[in-house]
Amino acid sequence: MTIYNLYIFDRDGQMLYYGEWTRKKQSGMSREEEAKLMYGMIFSIKSFVTKMSPVDLREGYLTYCTNKYRLHLFETPSRIKFVLNTDVGAQGIKELLHQIYTQVYVEYVSFNPMCPLNKPIESELFAAKLDEVVRQSPAYASRPA
Amino acid sequence: MAEEAVFDLVHMEAVSYVFQGEKISEDEAVAKLEHMGFATGYRLVERLTRESGRFKDELDIMKYICKDLWVTVYKKQIDNLRTNHQGVYVLHDNRFRFLSRMAAGKQYLQYAPRYLAFTCGLVRGCLANLGITCVVTAEVTQLPACKFQIQVQRG
Repeated sequence: MTIYNLYIFDRDGQMLYYGEWTRKKQSGMSREEEAKLMYGMIFSIKSFVTKMSPVDLREGYLTYCTNKYRLHLFETPSRIKFVLNTDVGAQGIKELLHQIYTQVYVEYVSFNPMCPLNKPIESELFAAKLDEVVRQSPAYASRPA
Repeated sequence: MAEEAVFDLVHMEAVSYVFQGEKISEDEAVAKLEHMGFATGYRLVERLTRESGRFKDELDIMKYICKDLWVTVYKKQIDNLRTNHQGVYVLHDNRFRFLSRMAAGKQYLQYAPRYLAFTCGLVRGCLANLGITCVVTAEVTQLPACKFQIQVQRG
């Protein structure tokens, strides 16, 4: 079980943070373009699922799976979106994303007077704590599955 | 937990409010915050010490500040109190509440004094109402630890 990378988007689609743990293949485009592409995709999928899903949705958490990776989307009530890519077999990611939101984002960004809202996150403490939480989670392994 | 958050956030907003406006200098803004803290501390200590008896001496008052006042306001005690017994006291807080979520190290170091000004005033106000005139300054070398230096003015 491995965690590949994490994007955090604010409610307008601006990327606030990008974190990477294991990434074997680069996309070949700049980080901003990649972020826009990612945001566009999750926005479209979210509206697609809302319209076309045959069952009632559990709001806030969405995941899709390909042969190679699994993407998890966690959207908070304040419309901050956490997008996490992991390998196919990852478990417990919903709880992990919730933990990242409450224990890292809210603590070290919302309560940090030096972090302006809706701007990219520059706090080193946030990055350190995020890294710690991700590495401690059972879904993280140092060798890719 | 909820009540603590409100104080933190109001304090954050007070700091950014005071720094609004292009012509405001760092010193003016910090002085305003200190003044706010002074008025708060002055009245706060009246309320907090209503039950306890008179203090034995100056050192006793300092210990009160380090333990009871800090626990009431910041939910922890001062980690270290030093004095030269000549009217200078240094309070060490290794994990100051307002700085603990900002950084762990040197990032944002230049902005840290803004978040200490209110507390300096708070301590000064408390001591003033307990009969001690003093000057309180703060120093940060590495977040989130900081030092408050109290210099008692003897008449």
